Amino acid sequence: MSKSAATIRASRPASGFVGGVSHRYAKSDEGRNVPQGKRFGMKQLMALCLALLAAVALPAATQAQGGPLRIEITEGTIEPMAYAVPDFVAETPGASQYAQQLARVVADDLTGTGLFREIPREAHISRVTSFEAPVQFTDWRTVNALVLLTGSVAEQGGRITVKFRVWDVFAGTELGQGMQFAATADGWRRLAHKVADQVYMRLTGESGYFDSRVVFVSESGPKDKRAKRLAIMDYDGANVQYLTDSRSIVLAPRFSPNGDRVLYTSYQTGEPRVHILNVGSVQSQILPNASGVMSFAPRFSPDGSKVVYSVTTGSNTDIYLMDIAGGAPRQLTFTPSIDTAPSFSPDGSRIVFESDRSGAQQLYIMPVGGGEPTRISFGQGRYGTPVWSPRGDLIAFTKQLSGRFHIGVMRTDGSEERLLTASPLDEGPTWAPNGRVIMFSRETLGAQGTSSLYSVDVAGRKLTRVRTPDGGSDPAWGPLQ
Amino acid sequence: MRRSFAISAGAHALVILWALVGNVFRPDPPEFEVSAVSVISEADFAALSEAAQAPTVQPDIVAPTQAPEPAPAPTRDPAPASESAPEPTPIPTPEPEPAPEPDPAPEPIPDPAPQPVPEPQPVPDPLPPAVEEVPQVLAPETAPRPKPRPATRVAADPVAAPEPDVAEAEEAQTAADPETESAEIVAETQEATAPPETATEIVTEADEPASAPAASVRPKTRPRDVAQQPAAATPDRTAPETPDAPAPAQPAEAGDAVASAIAEALAGGSAPTQAATPSGPPLTRGERDALRVAVQRCWLVDVGSEAANVTVTVSMDMDQGGRVVSSSLRLVNSSGGTGSAAETAFQAARRAILRCQGDTGYALPPEKYEQWKRIEMTFNPDEMRLR
Repeated sequence: MSKSAATIRASRPASGFVGGVSHRYAKSDEGRNVPQGKRFGMKQLMALCLALLAAVALPAATQAQGGPLRIEITEGTIEPMAYAVPDFVAETPGASQYAQQLARVVADDLTGTGLFREIPREAHISRVTSFEAPVQFTDWRTVNALVLLTGSVAEQGGRITVKFRVWDVFAGTELGQGMQFAATADGWRRLAHKVADQVYMRLTGESGYFDSRVVFVSESGPKDKRAKRLAIMDYDGANVQYLTDSRSIVLAPRFSPNGDRVLYTSYQTGEPRVHILNVGSVQSQILPNASGVMSFAPRFSPDGSKVVYSVTTGSNTDIYLMDIAGGAPRQLTFTPSIDTAPSFSPDGSRIVFESDRSGAQQLYIMPVGGGEPTRISFGQGRYGTPVWSPRGDLIAFTKQLSGRFHIGVMRTDGSEERLLTASPLDEGPTWAPNGRVIMFSRETLGAQGTSSLYSVDVAGRKLTRVRTPDGGSDPAWGPLQ
Repeated sequence: MRRSFAISAGAHALVILWALVGNVFRPDPPEFEVSAVSVISEADFAALSEAAQAPTVQPDIVAPTQAPEPAPAPTRDPAPASESAPEPTPIPTPEPEPAPEPDPAPEPIPDPAPQPVPEPQPVPDPLPPAVEEVPQVLAPETAPRPKPRPATRVAADPVAAPEPDVAEAEEAQTAADPETESAEIVAETQEATAPPETATEIVTEADEPASAPAASVRPKTRPRDVAQQPAAATPDRTAPETPDAPAPAQPAEAGDAVASAIAEALAGGSAPTQAATPSGPPLTRGERDALRVAVQRCWLVDVGSEAANVTVTVSMDMDQGGRVVSSSLRLVNSSGGTGSAAETAFQAARRAILRCQGDTGYALPPEKYEQWKRIEMTFNPDEMRLR
């Protein structure tokens, strides 16, 4: 009988009740004169026990019978995905100079996201010598590459053509289809960015941000006599071009949604005024509004037809909205406090801004038609320069807390605040077109302090300095081209 | 009449007495634990204590007493034609607008002066090994705790950074030392490997050292049901003996079930009452966990992506060797995202399944093949997003 108890225990180890009781009455069962009632009770009890046992064992048993084995996996690994990019195959003699450069720019783009990790070329076992030849998946599995990118480049009459394919190494299949891009030879970097954007999209299911440009304030010279110019560059700091000269101070440039115009604040007339500049013709003009006031912190609406900005009169700053084609500006906030740094939600229905109406700077959201704002930031410290993510899910901000500055993100209801950086002075976040990366400026302290541009992904894992020829501040990311 | 009344009263009294004294209404009588221990046979007890004390550390392999089996050298297959012959895919030629805008640059562009990107500030030592320490219940109130250690890999189990000259592998192993090996042993060099450095959460630049908790968690007691715990590590001794013990008994036939249980008990419990089903017993929790852990190690989650909102269920067929039939992998179900996000989530799941089977397939018990010849795996990233 004790064996029976042991059997039951082994089959249902968690059910101590079954094992204990049956063993207990197993002893009394050995007695000679067991009263009838007691025997009956015991029998009932055992039946009850077995019924319970059956009830517990039944679901497991039915699952075991027939049907697939079901496993749920909830714990994964957060780790950059390993990929390999061998040098592209040069199909014409003139293309050989680009074959390696293109692969390097693509690899820099992908690795810079923090989502991917390149398998160094020294580790590669097989060489790709022909774009059309079958891929030796075993060789790439051996070096633990999950994804392989192969490409070829041809040059003819000053035009270069790039073809590429993306392979899932472990599945042994191609991701998407082969593709090709063509451009003039001096646009080869854009070709590489286009390829990287395609690879990014196939691996993440989201659009990339590599073929995009950033407008920023280029800074040179010592801190007390710094020359500031508007400049535009590729997102990775290449191809810097200057849009203004350094005669007047410029601040806070902002791209229009399609990237053809730039709003910025200039002290050209002696006091801050919002200017609008055509990127193609490099012509700028003062945005027509009420004369004689200080206006700054402009930003386009998502459809590009309106501009939201702040105006200071006396010690009061309020937010205004105006049609870019002209017309009277409309005042959106009416408090005696400083309301500034407005930024549209991507659907154009709401505006997030900073205000010190509660005492310290905090973030608020209001409907675009005006109305009562809702405060969303409640943490310690001061919050400023909010920017709504292009995906609409997050708001990036600058936070000042105990003498340090942070770039952080929070959900649009203020929850899940997450600080991504920390330094003596970080400010001015701007979103990449796909809402996965934030660029900002970081200034070092002291008389020799300089300002430079950095980028960080929304998880806060990959902090990278953007290499610009001079110092830089106030970046604003343009759209994907 | 009176006699029957007396019998009835007596029987009632007995039943009430039995109910009161016999702990019927108390599911956890104090003396239960004693009796439970007494039924475990000596052999079982030995097996259990062996399981409980089974070391998790790998045995020291500095001086092996047997020649290690030659590991299969990584072969450079000449790529089977079936998997490597890509159909010549038509290349669509979307011509992007190639001409950049007219160069408005009024000034020459100096070369970008590459400057080293400042490394994140060095971090104090990795987390101290918690295992070896004498457990203490009270912790100092204000002891500084080391700052969380940033690592490129974030997973459930933290792993300290390996030695710089140690190759990366999923399992840690010590290098074979040729000097300590005896002469008759075929010297096979084994390189030291270690799993990649892993942190348990994402550490950003802004993360600060947290102060110590007011009290530390008590060390866990030894699990009560040791038999169930490391089933993957120790062979389950009782399961083969009684393969149909958990067979469902219908409540309606409880009386018969009692009878058969008693009969089985009298017969020694060793004779199976039914012929074993061809499917074999269901996988133990340990076996299922082993499979789960094997796959989750390779499941890369991009927490910021839309795909991290999608739960996908993938079905697959397995061959008898524990390898996935890759053509059978397909998306059964997905919830929580757009089509492209679901496709990306499926690709990540497929990659995890195919990659972590390695060359040898998953370690699944061959005698239970019927139980796992089809597997449906659900990948749920909800908890990952909170890291």
